[in-house]
Amino acid sequence: MSTYNMVKQEFIKKWITTLHMLDCSVEHPLNVTERKNAIKLSSDIAMAAARSGSTVWSRALISRSGNKTANKPVARRILKKARNRLKNRCLTLRRNGNFTAKSGVRKRTELLKSLVPGGELIKNKDYLIRETLDYIVYLRAQVDVMRTVAAVDSVTGNLTNDNK
Amino acid sequence: MSNRRSSRQSSSAPRISDDQMIDLVTKLRQILPEIGQRRRSDKVSASKVLQETCNYIRSLNREVDNLSERLSQLLESVDEDSPEAAVIRSLLM
Repeated sequence: MSTYNMVKQEFIKKWITTLHMLDCSVEHPLNVTERKNAIKLSSDIAMAAARSGSTVWSRALISRSGNKTANKPVARRILKKARNRLKNRCLTLRRNGNFTAKSGVRKRTELLKSLVPGGELIKNKDYLIRETLDYIVYLRAQVDVMRTVAAVDSVTGNLTNDNK
Repeated sequence: MSNRRSSRQSSSAPRISDDQMIDLVTKLRQILPEIGQRRRSDKVSASKVLQETCNYIRSLNREVDNLSERLSQLLESVDEDSPEAAVIRSLLM
């Protein structure tokens, strides 16, 4: 199985868990927007949790998601579990206030840092690029899985096995 | 991921190094075929590659948003007793 497929599998597993846990902790019935936010939140948490490594983006994403689940103790439990796993890898980051945006490469690097979770904390450009590539792989997996699930309605009863 | 801090300060040159650029481009090429068109390995436009990367991340995020919306509506509109509902429910909520 390719690495990318393994990423997707990991994401699916985590997503099912986060969806169930979030589902238990919200009051039904949900309106469309509330449900959408729950789906998106669980998906983001799952994506970050699937990354079992000490990447900046996954920790930043989990921490960012934590702010959105302040009222949901169950969700906080998932995040706590994920945070603890990552806490053991020590990787200190320092805020670097020295970047000033100029045109061209510098400006676009700033833009990239704002798009990758936790990017603004990364000082070393080499590291930023590696984080970016890693993040893109997981983001892509998230999109692919969600797209497949959303397509269920057009392939009635024909859910393919590789997405279980 | 290594622990190395950039105690060697990144040199005064503001640009990302060529090696990093080439590496990034190679990997992105597998994901974004459009970038691969200009094969000037030494003079890859760092700015362009960064721009493409940013655009790609943004479009992926947008897509996640749209898909969340769609999934939400799907769950709303799906008939309670249909097989789709059972499948989706067992997978999602």
